[in-house]
Amino acid sequence: MLSLFQQGFEIVFTVQILGLLFFGTVVGIIFGAIPGLTATMAVALFLPITYSLSTAAGISLLVGLYIGGVSGGLISAILLKIPGTPASVATVFDGGPMMEKGEGAKALGVGIVYSYIGTLLSIFALMFIAPTLAKLALSFGPHEYFAIAIFSLTLIVTLSSGSMVKGIFSGALGFMFATVGIAPVDAITRFTFGQTELNGGFDILTVLIGLFAISEIIKVAENVKTEKHATINAVKLKGFGFSLKEFFEQGWNCIRSTLIGTGIGILPGIGSGTSNIVSYMIAKKRSKHPEKFGTGIIDGIVASEAAACSAVGGAMIPLLTLGIPGDTVTAMLLGGFMIHGIQPGPLLFVSQGPLVYSIFVAMLVSSLMMLVCELFGVRIFVKLLAIPKHILLPIILVLCFVGAFGLGNRIFDVGTIVFFGLVGYGFVKSGIPQTPFIIGLILGPMAETNLRRGLMLSDGNFMGFLTEPISAAFLTLAVASVVLHIYQHHRKSSVLVTA
Amino acid sequence: MSDIKKREFVVGVVFLAVGLGYLYMTSTLPRKQFIDAAFVPYVLAITMCLLGVLQLWDARKLAASKQSGGGDKADYRTVSKTLGLIVAYAAFLEPVGFPIMTIVYLFAQFIVLTPTDKKVNYPVYGAIAIITSVTVYLTFRYAFDMILPVGLLNGLMN
Repeated sequence: MLSLFQQGFEIVFTVQILGLLFFGTVVGIIFGAIPGLTATMAVALFLPITYSLSTAAGISLLVGLYIGGVSGGLISAILLKIPGTPASVATVFDGGPMMEKGEGAKALGVGIVYSYIGTLLSIFALMFIAPTLAKLALSFGPHEYFAIAIFSLTLIVTLSSGSMVKGIFSGALGFMFATVGIAPVDAITRFTFGQTELNGGFDILTVLIGLFAISEIIKVAENVKTEKHATINAVKLKGFGFSLKEFFEQGWNCIRSTLIGTGIGILPGIGSGTSNIVSYMIAKKRSKHPEKFGTGIIDGIVASEAAACSAVGGAMIPLLTLGIPGDTVTAMLLGGFMIHGIQPGPLLFVSQGPLVYSIFVAMLVSSLMMLVCELFGVRIFVKLLAIPKHILLPIILVLCFVGAFGLGNRIFDVGTIVFFGLVGYGFVKSGIPQTPFIIGLILGPMAETNLRRGLMLSDGNFMGFLTEPISAAFLTLAVASVVLHIYQHHRKSSVLVTA
Repeated sequence: MSDIKKREFVVGVVFLAVGLGYLYMTSTLPRKQFIDAAFVPYVLAITMCLLGVLQLWDARKLAASKQSGGGDKADYRTVSKTLGLIVAYAAFLEPVGFPIMTIVYLFAQFIVLTPTDKKVNYPVYGAIAIITSVTVYLTFRYAFDMILPVGLLNGLMN
């Protein structure tokens, strides 16, 4: 392990990769800070740049964008009271009031430091959990992979907010688009309408760019003409902005929030967007002074930021060990690996050990860069918040087109992102969650291929999926999570009717 | 019928239509055995049809009094203009070429999205559009070896 770390350090500590990490982290912070732009969009935009880079350099750039993007949202959450990304929604609850009370610098300092600590602790969790899990996953066969895929699909549906029917439909629709192209095992061409470009199915990156970047740009067009411009108040940050006593007082709050964030990050499909709110609610419930939450106390910022940023390390665990993305940004990273012909999964730890450890090191370096850049460059980031959206968004759209075109030098891919952009906008307008769609698209082929392989291994007998202990456990959990969700949904409806 | 009820009803109809369409397309796939290339699509199509029915059922149950708090204030004129520009940009990217189409798209899109309380600044918009197009084209051409379509400028740039 130590020699792999050493090799990881040697790979990362080159001028090129350190420069890319710094660039990625800074751009990520900017994307995180500007409301309407997200870490997912940042990674989508910079994917084409990674084509010409080595795998380690390309992934390092994307990792920098990811870490910076998740943390950057705190800047606008505190200064403008508008969360820059869904990861910083709960930061507004106490960051906003602190800003109003004239404690903006302290709120920023707390947010920056605890987002760093959250990220760092989750990277340590990743470094210790991932290799062990990968070793275990090496023994997994088609039965286990099928069961994990089904469990992940049901989990994302039951955990997504809003209507369960819409969540399941979104996942099924993603799975449906994954069936386009040549079928696994018997190689029959399905739903291509004679288009040879569709033989290989839809490229996951074009779907992601369309669904998350193009649809977001169309959505912003709804109110960009009439949007009120928030006033940006300047703050002067001295040191970390808070005392050592306050730091130690937040110890348990920080650890608990990090555990929540990492745990939620590991679950497929949900990440920092959920963890910050869950952590905030738990911190409030467990606090000795819950009535002070929302009035401007640092406890709320610590809970939100530590949990949001610790989901980063958590989300990388299923991606690297099983090839299952923990959230939308890691779904993009999965695409980044595929560009370089690498399939994340347990074998990655065996065949590309130094690359895996270089990712760990890149994450550690990027999180440190994030801390330094946000502490010393906050004034510059504040200025960037003033960039008009009507100029910025069309330029981002152009870069999305370039990214899609660069995937295979085909205009077909450009058309695909426009199509999925419209699908994504339709989702937004109909209240359909987008994440189950992506999970269905990514895990669908994994479920189908392993179902077919598993049945071949057990001579067409379904019982093989129930007699293998790991597979049976995951399938039981999948059924249990759906039953529990339906029960809770039914109980909630009954309470509403009686009320 | 309230706005929310209408929306949920339309969503249900769309779910059902997508499910039925997919079911029809799946039925055209050649069958070999019970578990073959059409098995998963059949499961998905039937699931989607059932979800469509469930969505319609849920929409029917929605209280008629449930109004959509203040209505949808989205500026759909700007949205449709933006959509038109995006589709045109994608359609003409190859025949006209990236450099020219990007300038035209950016210039038009800046104008369409300019907030009502701001003046349309044609020279600045034009300059930004040209600089962006040239910078992106040259960066990807020479720094990342990606050849973007040049279209009408084919003779000039090759």
